[in-house]
Amino acid sequence: MSVSALIAVPVGAPLVAAAVALVSRRRSLSGWSGIAASLAVLAAGIAIAARVGSGHVVADAHLLRADAAAAVMVIVIGVVGALATFAGVGYLDAELADGATTPAAARQYEVLVQVFLAAMSLAVLADNLGVVWVAVEATTVATAFLVGHRRTRQSLEATWKYVVICSLGITLAFFGVVILYFASIHAGASPTSALDLDVLASRASHLDPATARLAVGLMLVGFGTKAGLVPFHTWLADAHSQAPAPVSALMSGVLLSVAFSVVLRVRALADSALGPGFARDWLLVTGLATLLVAVSLLVAQRDLKRLLAYSSLEQMGLIAVAAAAGTRLAIAGLLLVVTAHGVVKAVLFISAGELQHVHGSSSIADLTGIAARSPLLGAAIGAGLLGLVGLPPFALFGGELAIARGMADAHLAPALGVALVLLVVGYASIVNHGAAMLLGPARAGSPAIAVTRPVAVPVVLGVAVLVVLGVVGGPYPHLLETAATVLGAR
Amino acid sequence: MSAHTYATLVDLAAGALLLSAVLVVWRRDLQATARLLAVQGAALGAIPILSGIRRGDVQLAVVGVAVVALRAVVFPKLIAVRLRGELAHEREGAPLVNTTASLLVTATLVIVAYALSRPLVRLDASPAARAAPVGYALVLIGVFLLVTRRKALSQVVAFLVLDNGIDAVAFLATLGVPVVVELGASLDVLLAVVILGVLAGRMHAKFGGTDLDELRELRE
Amino acid sequence: MTGVAHGDVARPVGPAPPADGDSPATGAPDGRAERAPGAVAIAGVTTTALGAAGAATGVVAVVRGIGPIHVGSLGPLAGVTLAAGATGGAFMVVVGLVAAAAGVYGIGYGRHGRSSPLQLAAVPAFVATMLLVPLAGSVSTFLATWELMAVASLVAILADHDRPAVRDAARWYAVMTHLGFAAVLVGLVVLAASGRADGLVALTSRAASASSASRDAVFVLTFVGFGAKAGLVPLHVWLPRAHPEAPSPVSALMSAAMVAMGVYGIVRIDIEVLGPGPRWWAIVLVATGAASALYGVLQSSVSTDLKRLLAYSTTENMGLVTLALGAAMLLAGYGERSLATIALTAALLHVVAHAAFKSLAFMAAGSVLFATGLRDLDLLGGLARRMPATTGAFSVAALGAAGLPLGAGFVSEWLLVQSLIHSRPSSGTLLALVMPVAVGVVALTTGLGVAAMTKAFGIGFLARPRSTAAFDARESPAAMLAPMAVVAAACTVLAVAPGVLAPGLRRVLLDTGSSFGAPPHLGLLLRLPGIAGSISPGLIAVAVAVAAAALALVAAVARAGRSRRPADRRAALWAGGGGPLTARMQYTATSFAEPLQRVFDDVLRPDVDVEVSHVEESRYLVDRVRYRSRIVDVVEARCYRPVLGAVATWASWVRRAHNGSVNRYLAFGALAVIVVIAVAR
Repeated sequence: MSVSALIAVPVGAPLVAAAVALVSRRRSLSGWSGIAASLAVLAAGIAIAARVGSGHVVADAHLLRADAAAAVMVIVIGVVGALATFAGVGYLDAELADGATTPAAARQYEVLVQVFLAAMSLAVLADNLGVVWVAVEATTVATAFLVGHRRTRQSLEATWKYVVICSLGITLAFFGVVILYFASIHAGASPTSALDLDVLASRASHLDPATARLAVGLMLVGFGTKAGLVPFHTWLADAHSQAPAPVSALMSGVLLSVAFSVVLRVRALADSALGPGFARDWLLVTGLATLLVAVSLLVAQRDLKRLLAYSSLEQMGLIAVAAAAGTRLAIAGLLLVVTAHGVVKAVLFISAGELQHVHGSSSIADLTGIAARSPLLGAAIGAGLLGLVGLPPFALFGGELAIARGMADAHLAPALGVALVLLVVGYASIVNHGAAMLLGPARAGSPAIAVTRPVAVPVVLGVAVLVVLGVVGGPYPHLLETAATVLGAR
Repeated sequence: MSAHTYATLVDLAAGALLLSAVLVVWRRDLQATARLLAVQGAALGAIPILSGIRRGDVQLAVVGVAVVALRAVVFPKLIAVRLRGELAHEREGAPLVNTTASLLVTATLVIVAYALSRPLVRLDASPAARAAPVGYALVLIGVFLLVTRRKALSQVVAFLVLDNGIDAVAFLATLGVPVVVELGASLDVLLAVVILGVLAGRMHAKFGGTDLDELRELRE
Repeated sequence: MTGVAHGDVARPVGPAPPADGDSPATGAPDGRAERAPGAVAIAGVTTTALGAAGAATGVVAVVRGIGPIHVGSLGPLAGVTLAAGATGGAFMVVVGLVAAAAGVYGIGYGRHGRSSPLQLAAVPAFVATMLLVPLAGSVSTFLATWELMAVASLVAILADHDRPAVRDAARWYAVMTHLGFAAVLVGLVVLAASGRADGLVALTSRAASASSASRDAVFVLTFVGFGAKAGLVPLHVWLPRAHPEAPSPVSALMSAAMVAMGVYGIVRIDIEVLGPGPRWWAIVLVATGAASALYGVLQSSVSTDLKRLLAYSTTENMGLVTLALGAAMLLAGYGERSLATIALTAALLHVVAHAAFKSLAFMAAGSVLFATGLRDLDLLGGLARRMPATTGAFSVAALGAAGLPLGAGFVSEWLLVQSLIHSRPSSGTLLALVMPVAVGVVALTTGLGVAAMTKAFGIGFLARPRSTAAFDARESPAAMLAPMAVVAAACTVLAVAPGVLAPGLRRVLLDTGSSFGAPPHLGLLLRLPGIAGSISPGLIAVAVAVAAAALALVAAVARAGRSRRPADRRAALWAGGGGPLTARMQYTATSFAEPLQRVFDDVLRPDVDVEVSHVEESRYLVDRVRYRSRIVDVVEARCYRPVLGAVATWASWVRRAHNGSVNRYLAFGALAVIVVIAVAR
């Protein structure tokens, strides 16, 4: 397969599946084409990784370019996308059977999910910062009606807040892009290619510092909005808790990370243009603040999906702190955390969706004695929660360990200490609520949990992937280290 | 077109932009602000048209016409359609910040915008770039409006003011971002406005009004 | 009551006590089927096999050392490095032997249990991860195995998670163990960063050249983390909750082996890798050790729950070990090499001895629980006749824990006291101040320890049963008694012939650092180098045995020489008008400990309540008097609750800030814009 065709697959395959979902009358065809598209994205990601693993960049003439970091993100999109689309088939079947949704709404769901995946792939593969921005904004547009899929008052409220707050943030990012374009032209780039990522990288040291500072600040805040960084974090819990479970898995697991990968590119640019201190201080403060807010809101949490959303916020805070460190181990560990977090959030959200479907509520007080009623779901949620809080042998532990070592290398040990104390508080809250849900005898009168295949398969596969990633070294960590170098690690 | 004429016309357009933004802050009635948006869109589109005529760049002039079409016609129409439909009785109620205070804040923001844009103006001395602070001011005014308005459609208007400001900076300082980016950005904004309009309609159906203070069920 | 022969007791009346502890004998009906005995046997055999393999590997490590083996294909971004020296090997031997005993014990204990396959697999996994910790050769591997051990132990504790007390215990354990891990993590990564290496052997040589600020930080952080695992005050609060609620084989493993891992961490990192440090390090160790020893023994002496008593005793013993390590560090810092060696030998010997007698004690307690379903000493009693083997085992363990001659803990405590007494005050003022205080602490601890163990053994096993469950107790199956017998034999060997450990100890001391000299001679006569002090536990044992044999001979001769006795006559006993003796007329554990509770009232702060309810008609007549005494952990009540309260308050503020208003959320965002503007100029 030629290189240009290979790079186009992650964007093109989901668009094809969206078209199929739009015209097809048979649900099974659109469902399976969706899953096939995600698997195609994953396969393309692995193929791209094989070519860029040694560090060189694979480029395409038409707006797309792939380096090791992009390959990592495409793989993450593919894995989580496959898990979520598989579960999504079962979700829609259950909703249609309950009469909670119409076939037209189900079709809209499938089309929008595929458009969402295509937009995310475009965001990581585009070679022009402006096109990256367009793709990121497109994800907001695509997910708006996904968040509001269930047509309740609360999902409507969540959708409004999501669209308005994210649009404010992302528009500020566009302002930053415009100012950067101006600075780039004045550093000598030609108007048509002034926003190309490689042109920006080469011209970075010639950018006017004052203009660049404003531009970088706006972009860090703006793209950080979609990654959920403080103070633009307020939409996260509402949107992720009201969306259907497979969509929450995608948003929590991948979208936040894709947005953060853009922040990483901006960070690399800022380091060349402004020296390492600016982005590092900004990300450190924002990251610790995000950790603090997330952990504080986890303490007395009453809703399972909001708990998972705030835990995503917590991970994003940790990732921002790791990006501040900027050493090779820190960024490679960050990428491993991104991968592992995507998988574990998918497992947990899919399980949460099943529980919500069975009980009609996602309130923690209503969900008790899960392990007693369903050993499979109990073990999966237990493994997922243990993996989420960073315990071995699950992959998040390896990533967090690498981040800790990277931060110590960057002389940021006090910040690491603060972050770890906050993480322990988060750990306590998650373990507390998890124990309340999983352990203990089943309450009299609680419904039986029958786990269907669209839920069981992704959940079990996800846990297996998590263990494999956490135990085995080899090609994937090597790819992560190459990606870290590409992203400007010191 | 002589340089002097061009500079005057660009300054006029920039002034119209700023004035319409201040009037949006002052007038809270949604019908009026929709009309002001049209004026703003026209003033915004005038800038690339003027630049295109001055430089003989047809593509730029076409982009300007497209901008006028989108921001002076389509967006205000989308809002007006919503207003004529189910939201006919919506007016901005008691605002979070009263009019006098809002105007004072707006004045402060304009001053801040001029201070903020000094590095940019320092780099590029052309007449269009000298008017770039107006774009910055529109951005800051848009953020202020977004924070202080309590009706759904008012927030849509605020968002559009914000977006107009960014486009103004783009056209004044750099002759516009690459076409692909401009196209994609405009499409995104259009879709966002459509979505927000649909959501406002659903909000009216579910909540009996688009008062944003009603949206408080999702909280800790 | 007529016809009661001397020595017989009546079955105590009263309601059956509530089912307490994790007794597998009380099979409350629930949906889960009884686990097939085959699965339990497989789990037990696997545990024993792992323990034996671990001990063997440990011996190899002590003798020859296990060289660094680096496996790059495992462990993402870090690789796995396995290496073990004499110190690691010694701890592996201890853990392995305890695991071997616990494995066989678990086969008998789990026979009537209702554990799921996951819970059955957790115990061998726990043992395996514990054995891996001393094998870790790099910082990353150490941290990974440490956390794996935490996960496995957490799953093992949750065997009976239907009970709220177990869930509560598991929550406390999980959080505190993670807190300890966080401290160790920061400490070790700072160490690795300052030494620019990941391997522990490489760091040993490079750590000395790191800046003193980072060395101090590493010391404090790692000591906090390892101290939490070893159960030192004030991070001990998980111990008295988790150890009693876990199944008895797991309790034995945790109390005997896992806390030893905390000590291993202190020895390996704080003494070996970091090397000699400023004097205040040693003071910190001594102070924490002293506080833990005193607090632990105090709480155990007033505790009425048998397993909780043993858990607090673990805190006490780990406190003594830490005190010994601190004394060794302090003495080495002052150049008193021989005394420092003696103190270090005492610490290591005490770890081994504690592993032996604590695992034996927990196995015996588990046997009692298996037979009666009770942990409450106030309801036990009279088990000596009904469960003689268990009683014998517990007596050996209690003797060891009390630190009396012929007990497993005697030699190590004697060595410790010798090293403290013989220090020359002229060496330094600090030494002159600290050593006498330390001697006083050890003496007080030993005294209170004797009281605690006497209470546990006397009230729990001797005299008459105080409840129907104790009355109906039967001896436990052979699978549980056999390992108890083996460990009891080990305790006795440690008590009379500690010389068996001499070669291993010598190698460990060599590894630990150059500031420690030749070890004391541990043959038949314990001779201490450089000071005038010697003792021979073997000879003492022989003397006691000879004396006991002589007494028995005299008694037998005297009985045979007496004239023939008349026939027995049955008649009512004359009891001074008070009626026959009942089980209620004995000391209970609460009454035994009441004087201590009164003396140490300020430290323990018991919650005592006396409730008098009167007869309806007249306030002069008393219907019933109820006395309630509750002793909670003071550290938990005074230190932890305020912190938890502050966290909850902060969390409520943050929640109130997120009140759901879009405008407020957008205002937060506008704040960011203002900051960007301010920063950009």
